[in-house]
Amino acid sequence: MSDKSELDDGASMTTRRRFLGSTAWMAGAIATGAGSWMIRPAWGATPIKVGIATDLTGAIGYAGNANANTAKLVMKEINGKGGILGRPIELYVEDTASNESTAVANVRKLIQRDKVDVVFGGITSSMRNAIKDVIVTRGRTLYVYPQLYEGKECTPYIFCTGPTPAQQCDEFIPWLMKNGGKRFALPSANYVWPHVLNQYARKVIEGNGGEVIFEEYYPLDQVEYSATVNKIMTNKVDVVFNTVIPPGVGPFFKQLYEAGFTKRGGRLSCVYYDENTLNINAPHEIEGLASCLDYFRAVTNDEPGSARIQAEYDKQFPGNIVFAAGSAATGMYRGLKLWEAAVMEARSVDREAVAKALDHARITEGPGGPAEMVPGKRHCKMRMYTAVAKQGTYEIVARSKGLVDPKEC
Amino acid sequence: MEAVVTAVFEVLNFGAIMVLVVLGLGVIAGMMGIFNFAHGEFVLLGAYTVYLFHTWALPIWLGMLVAPAVVAAVALVLERLVIRRFYAAPVIAMLGTYALGLAIRESVRGLIGGLYRAVPEPLPGSFDIGAIRIARWRLAIVVITTLVMVGSYLLLTRTGFGLRVRAALENPSLARASGISTDRVYAATFAFGAALAGLAGALVVPVFSLSADLGIRFLIQGFLAVMLGGVGSFEGSVVGAGVIGVMSAALPWAVAPVLADVLVFVIAVVLVRVWPRGFTAGRTV
Repeated sequence: MSDKSELDDGASMTTRRRFLGSTAWMAGAIATGAGSWMIRPAWGATPIKVGIATDLTGAIGYAGNANANTAKLVMKEINGKGGILGRPIELYVEDTASNESTAVANVRKLIQRDKVDVVFGGITSSMRNAIKDVIVTRGRTLYVYPQLYEGKECTPYIFCTGPTPAQQCDEFIPWLMKNGGKRFALPSANYVWPHVLNQYARKVIEGNGGEVIFEEYYPLDQVEYSATVNKIMTNKVDVVFNTVIPPGVGPFFKQLYEAGFTKRGGRLSCVYYDENTLNINAPHEIEGLASCLDYFRAVTNDEPGSARIQAEYDKQFPGNIVFAAGSAATGMYRGLKLWEAAVMEARSVDREAVAKALDHARITEGPGGPAEMVPGKRHCKMRMYTAVAKQGTYEIVARSKGLVDPKEC
Repeated sequence: MEAVVTAVFEVLNFGAIMVLVVLGLGVIAGMMGIFNFAHGEFVLLGAYTVYLFHTWALPIWLGMLVAPAVVAAVALVLERLVIRRFYAAPVIAMLGTYALGLAIRESVRGLIGGLYRAVPEPLPGSFDIGAIRIARWRLAIVVITTLVMVGSYLLLTRTGFGLRVRAALENPSLARASGISTDRVYAATFAFGAALAGLAGALVVPVFSLSADLGIRFLIQGFLAVMLGGVGSFEGSVVGAGVIGVMSAALPWAVAPVLADVLVFVIAVVLVRVWPRGFTAGRTV
């Protein structure tokens, strides 16, 4: 642009600059404001500060928002009864944004600025590994991790309240053999959870007289599975124990369906499948898919505690952010209630005292039923349910007799 | 034998999907010299349009017809407001289009709640030829891709519009001196490329399900294809896309899938080394 025209455009330049300035300010406000908020209780006594670090935005934002909603639900419940030890709880929510480096900076805020008494959150294992040091080692704070995962997290002061491979396989795989067959295929996404879960699943399959026909790993964004489908069809595989994740899982299941896998009696199974993932495929494409989790919406039909929680959640958060097990929302609920029980017993929020009480904490009501921590293991015993997809919803086909042991640490 | 035929069909099918997705990218990169990083999001918008028709209980095929027009209209607005300022600075154009893409992608993510949504195909089911099972919709994609490819080629080589597009690319000042409004030609070309992206999104969404990251999945491979084929030519992009698509689908039949993913890029780099200016260097449309 020449000098002259710049002079001529003087007026419009100023407004443009002003416009840029104001949008930059707005962008800044959105960037720092929206991802970080605090919910104060209504009354006075010094509140207990609870930090929630979860993925409110980014690829798994749907799960993070369900976690934040669940935390709000439990906070309301606890404060409605008069708080814990006469003190209300106050939520500090930080966005981990499905991005580990953003997360570390935001979680540091929880620890250093807000000085929270406990942190709940993280969904993926990579997220847990990124933030745990900030919370537990340098932050000297208690950390509760709510998601189903591959196990092996035995760091002191980290308590896991989601299902482990043992909980998802021990009863499920024998069921699959009875209701599918003995020849298994393990198609998997190439990251830590499938690798470690498959190790365990293979042990259970072979221990029960089954056979793993192939175990194969794919790049996380692969969407073309014709070679895999062909291998499954020509090797007469009975059960596909899938750990391929979105975006690949949709086209993979579709190609399997088109090849006629379920039509010839094959059984599809996937242990992270919950109400959120049901929509990835058309219902007829995954008819008969089996999953094993700590909670399904169908459990509410005959478990009054779960029904009450589900109804309360739906009332407070109508819309498409649903309360589901695969996105850690159930683990979040369980974790918060176990922690509440521990603080009541410890009569303090001191890390040592709460950790000691949380080590054997138990609750009688939670999503899917009661739950209790296994002393010395920092993992949680819970009921497990096997469900099968039927015309776009789940039907419970088997349930554990009692609480299933996580067999970790 | 059956396995071989099945493999050939599946590989061809993914090759066709790749060509379909890359066509629009190739037209814009080839004819205008703009590497459109929002291309994946144009694909996404096409897919989203079909999803909207599905939720409104309107016929899916109608959505597929409307999608290219919707995406072309959006692209035209973006071209007039933003893209045309970048023609002189291709690197800044990359950043600009990337930003536009990001805005579109995150908006769609918000609209669909960050989840995956199944969209049914207009031609469901599959049929058997002997022992080989072919999915109807996948076959339809191969047929439509072929038609669109031939149609686009004819449009660019045999019509007055194509001539003006090529003139505006080859020598903009001479084209303007001859009375061609290069400004308008660029706008039309950009909209045309976007319409092709919209069509691609509309056709593939039943196969891959709708998600905000639907388009970005193909972006890197798309650029690789354009590079391989040679920037500045229509056939080049098509051939490049075909090669990349066929390699991505065929290699997992032969080697471990994780290795195949890397091999596609290694082979592509080797090919670029052998033909630095692409397969069709010197012979442009």
